[in-house]
Amino acid sequence: MNHKKSEGALEKIASGIEGFDDITGGGLPRDGTTILIGGPGCGKTVLALQMLVHNAVQDDVPGMFVAFEEDTKRLIANTESFGWKLRELAKKRLFFLSARISPETVIAGSFDLTALLASLEAKALEMGAKLVVFDALDVLLTLLDDPAAERRELYRIQHWLSRTGLTGILTAKVEECTSARLLRYGFMPFMADCVVLLRQRVLERVAVREMRVLKYRGSRHALNEVPFVITDSGIEVGASNGVHPEPQPFKERISTGIARLDEMLHGGIYRGTNALITGSAGTGKSTLSGLFVEAACQRGERALFVSFDENSCDIVRDLASVGVQLTPHLKSGLLRMEAIRTESAGAEDHLVRIKHLIRGFQPACVAVDPFSALVKVGGELAARNVAERLIYLCRNQRITLLLTSLLEGKDPALETTPLHVSTLADTWMQISYSLNGGERNRALTIIKSRGSKHSNQMRELIFSDTGITLADPYTAGGEVLMGTLRIEKENRVAADRERQRHELEQKDREIELLHLEGDLRVEAARRDLQTRREELERLTVASKAQPDGKALREDEVVRRRDKKLVSEQTLRGKTNGGHPRSRAKVRSKK
Amino acid sequence: MNPSTAISGHSTNGAYFFRIYVAGGAPNSVRALANLDSLCRKHFPESHRIEVIDVLLEPMRALGDAVLVTPTVVKVSPAPEQEIIGNLSDEGEVLRALGLPAKENP
Repeated sequence: MNHKKSEGALEKIASGIEGFDDITGGGLPRDGTTILIGGPGCGKTVLALQMLVHNAVQDDVPGMFVAFEEDTKRLIANTESFGWKLRELAKKRLFFLSARISPETVIAGSFDLTALLASLEAKALEMGAKLVVFDALDVLLTLLDDPAAERRELYRIQHWLSRTGLTGILTAKVEECTSARLLRYGFMPFMADCVVLLRQRVLERVAVREMRVLKYRGSRHALNEVPFVITDSGIEVGASNGVHPEPQPFKERISTGIARLDEMLHGGIYRGTNALITGSAGTGKSTLSGLFVEAACQRGERALFVSFDENSCDIVRDLASVGVQLTPHLKSGLLRMEAIRTESAGAEDHLVRIKHLIRGFQPACVAVDPFSALVKVGGELAARNVAERLIYLCRNQRITLLLTSLLEGKDPALETTPLHVSTLADTWMQISYSLNGGERNRALTIIKSRGSKHSNQMRELIFSDTGITLADPYTAGGEVLMGTLRIEKENRVAADRERQRHELEQKDREIELLHLEGDLRVEAARRDLQTRREELERLTVASKAQPDGKALREDEVVRRRDKKLVSEQTLRGKTNGGHPRSRAKVRSKK
Repeated sequence: MNPSTAISGHSTNGAYFFRIYVAGGAPNSVRALANLDSLCRKHFPESHRIEVIDVLLEPMRALGDAVLVTPTVVKVSPAPEQEIIGNLSDEGEVLRALGLPAKENP
């Protein structure tokens, strides 16, 4: 679907219909013929009328609507619900002409549209009209009952448009777009400048509308069939313009609602990006969605929570049971919850509804849970296309988008979503069930996180009535422990720590005791030393005072003995020779 | 058969008043006018009146009179009003439309 805007020779008039100008590369061929072909009720009249209205309102271009089948008054009344204010427009900007041939009229021979064209020309001149719609032209042409004549009239219209410089939109009914039917009006596509085929079919019980630009003379155009819906404000064509929007540079990170998860993501997810959470039923995707919007509201931002097949009240209640309070935010108006029944419409219709919600409410954060529900209505291809466009829309508007996707049983280990949007996701987290130790616990893994490194560690997601958190991983033998095993392990680890602490304390005390002991010993030794020193000192002093003390005494003793001996001898000599003994006696008395 | 110049819805004397819308000298229009003229001369020679309106010259008139195709013949009187489109090549059809049997009738 790559194409540029109209270049050079061929001038185009914008239709003003979202997506239509994309697939036609700018709109309708100016002063050329565009034919809208389709079965009954597929939206040709609405499409043509909408283009007329847009040009009248936006570009102030008057237009004319020639109704060959419908009563114009009824038409204006029926389209009242789109809010186009046709009655107002019909006064000046738009001219409605009822061009129905009365059933009373008798056809007697060949006729042509000259009268009509002549009067239209005059009218166009009068009001300055640039656009003219011939609605259900086939109704008139069939009256001619002659293919050659029909062809002639169509040529007449074409030439007339070219001459007057008016842009013409013709609508024609074809029962079924089979070749047999198309043969009847087969010439029409060959003659027109631009041919658009509209189709309505039922796909797996869901009504799906599609349109395709069959041909566009002199211009490139989208070749594929694109879905469209008739909303309550008109037709919207679901085509992206094929150009991938410029990704905004990542800057700010916002919280996911779980502090530990933000940590794992280095602060949170980047604003304006999208995150995908996949998981099988019951893993907690809705809870995470609730946390995400709660976090947004807590920051004072508007958040939109779109849920499929769940009642808003139930969601609020379930979330409250894990400590997520959405009610105050609902009351304050920061949070808008939209519960949609998937089966009520096709994927395309749901996208339009979400787009309108976003446009009207202008949220900063949007959560869609589960987005995968769209696969049920329209098939995988349509759902994926819708997912893509929603992602691009939010990215362009810097809205942070959270999508959840249900993995249907088959093999969660395969980790592919039914939508295959994982390639588009900026952040992808998976919640899986981990079976060990006879328990089923929830495990969260970050599979992908664009723009930042992330841990590939699987962590247990714990729900409690005070909140949700992620547990630290406990690895044992290459496996992550969860649930009871984790608690056991946690306890063991705590016990170990406690034991270690005790041991350390014990050691501390021992060392202290040793110190004390040591001190004491040192003290005792010191004292011992002191005592000995003192003794030594004393002895030293004593020996100094009487240097030959002992020897002296002995000498003295010897001397005195000698003296006594001498004196005794002397005495004996005097007396009778003297007895030494007596001298000794005498001496001892001394 | 009284000649009448009155142009009104109720013509008491049964005169036929036709309006024919033509597209200039377009073949079908020319045929239609010729056919109408010849038919009138044949069936009501003295009591008919044909007003010719060229849509190319008076487009707003066509719009006002809700004429979409050419040629268009409107039998204004006698009542009821009858519209016939086409070049009137099928005379039998025209007579039937006018409520006339396929033979002279005042």
